[in-house]
Amino acid sequence: MIQTEHLSKRYGKLQALTDLNLNIDKGKVFGFIGPNGAGKSTTMLILSTLLTPSEGKAYVCGYDVVKEPKDVRQSLGYMPDFFGVYDNLKATEYLDFYAGAYNIPPAKRKSLIADLLELVNLSNKADAYVDSLSRGMKQRLGLARCLVHSPDVLILDEPASGLDPRARIEMREILKQLRRMNKTILISSHILPELAELCDEIGVIEKGKLIACGAVDDVSIRSRGISMMEVRTVFGAEKAERILRESRFVRQLDDKNSHFRIQFMGTEENKAELLQQLIAAGVGVVHFGDSRENLEDVFLAITEGVGN
Amino acid sequence: MKDIFTNPLIVKEMRERFRTRKTVWILALYLLVMGSLLLGFMYVLQLNELPMPGDNRELFVMTAVLQYALLCFIAPALAAGTISGERERQTLHVLMTTQLTPAQIVWSKLLTSLAFVFLLVVASLPLYSFVFLYGGISPKQLLLLMVFFAVNILFFGALGVFCSTWIKRTGVSTITAYGLAFFFVVGTGLLYVFLGLLLEELYPQQWLNDSVWGLTGLQILGELNPVLVMFELLGENLGPTFDEYFMTPWIFFTCCYVLLSVLLIWWSAFLLKPVRPGLRWK
Repeated sequence: MIQTEHLSKRYGKLQALTDLNLNIDKGKVFGFIGPNGAGKSTTMLILSTLLTPSEGKAYVCGYDVVKEPKDVRQSLGYMPDFFGVYDNLKATEYLDFYAGAYNIPPAKRKSLIADLLELVNLSNKADAYVDSLSRGMKQRLGLARCLVHSPDVLILDEPASGLDPRARIEMREILKQLRRMNKTILISSHILPELAELCDEIGVIEKGKLIACGAVDDVSIRSRGISMMEVRTVFGAEKAERILRESRFVRQLDDKNSHFRIQFMGTEENKAELLQQLIAAGVGVVHFGDSRENLEDVFLAITEGVGN
Repeated sequence: MKDIFTNPLIVKEMRERFRTRKTVWILALYLLVMGSLLLGFMYVLQLNELPMPGDNRELFVMTAVLQYALLCFIAPALAAGTISGERERQTLHVLMTTQLTPAQIVWSKLLTSLAFVFLLVVASLPLYSFVFLYGGISPKQLLLLMVFFAVNILFFGALGVFCSTWIKRTGVSTITAYGLAFFFVVGTGLLYVFLGLLLEELYPQQWLNDSVWGLTGLQILGELNPVLVMFELLGENLGPTFDEYFMTPWIFFTCCYVLLSVLLIWWSAFLLKPVRPGLRWK
């Protein structure tokens, strides 16, 4: 459904995107991970027909984004990272405007808008002015707007940015529902753990280059001989921190008072050795075990050293 | 015509614009300024002498000039925020991914911003009835004046939309639109007078008795100046008179400015295209 071939984009001397090759099948949710300025939004803008690529090709539902922009626009729903809403319009009028902009006949709009508002849990806000809605509600309304012409592909740039935890959970549930509706979704987010359970595949992008791509398990750091571990102590936290920092098996240490999260590179024997070291030093260890890795860990592990 | 009422962007813009209190206040203020000045002058003029038939001609000219000045002030400002406003509100990207073409967007935006300016003109029409009370003005003159205003509103609107598409920020776009409008309204007139006087001073033997003003180039420049054309239309002599070559001055003016407006609208639509081969969208 989404395909890019050697896609590149230059802004003057700045190379924003380099030789990007992507292939996202129908019904898949693809998570795009990368820091600010990595090239995620540039890719999304090109796919949404809002930017011309410097080199390469990009296709959405088989349509060339440069040669057949009209067909591409009919096939996709795009939600940018930051978007505004119109003042003095009610939620139903807002969606009615976009339905009209996608040439949906007026007779079909009323029921369509009611369904969309129900999908994004905004039925009770149908007659509310859009500028009076909370940020989370506006994001959900924006998602409903993306779906107004029932596109097969959704391109969502940071849909959860700036949302409070409850709004993020609500957004995630809606995205899960869209996944069940067999929509192909390209999503980027800074809230990386949120993507982990949602995505079938992820792509890690850094400085315009795709440095890892594949199924979530394939890109897992475990497959790279790294494991995420948690260590909790009740006393001797300072000693524990010193031992962990000096250990040759520990790559990265995240210290939250007496709760440590580490990237461990070594065997099971090495783990036992490290635990013995901690106990021998008089540290009160109450938990020493594997932690569930998340996309943040994946991202940090993969991008370490890239671009230096 | 049917398209106008079904075009989603026009419907949306009308809803947005005419729902705000600001719209009502601008309309009220406009009529208040126009009405107070007109009635004030009428009162002052009749203080010492009874009005005679035809005396109100001056009032008519004054009302027309006042209205034109207000239009020059309002029309570019209303149009100069149409596209840049969408950009600033971060709604332009989303709008560009719909099935609306850049030409449709530009045209709809222009039409809705002009609709309000036309409303101001239409709402002020009853004020002209005061002028008609004492005669001196023919309905044809009023009609021609309205056509002249319509052409100017279209041009200033197109100029505003063009600046709004070309420049990212509404503030800068508005100032640029005012600057360009000033050039057309005042600049062309000053240039016309300056060139005429310059030629007279440089070649006094060649251009005797104001004959320099009959030069084709100067005549065309003069006929492109809205103020000179408006006074010609009102039957007032602001300076040298225009010769009639192949069409009357105000028809020449109308043709030129409608053409310029179409060019600006086409250019705006081109600038708004997100994907243009060899060019990058700002």
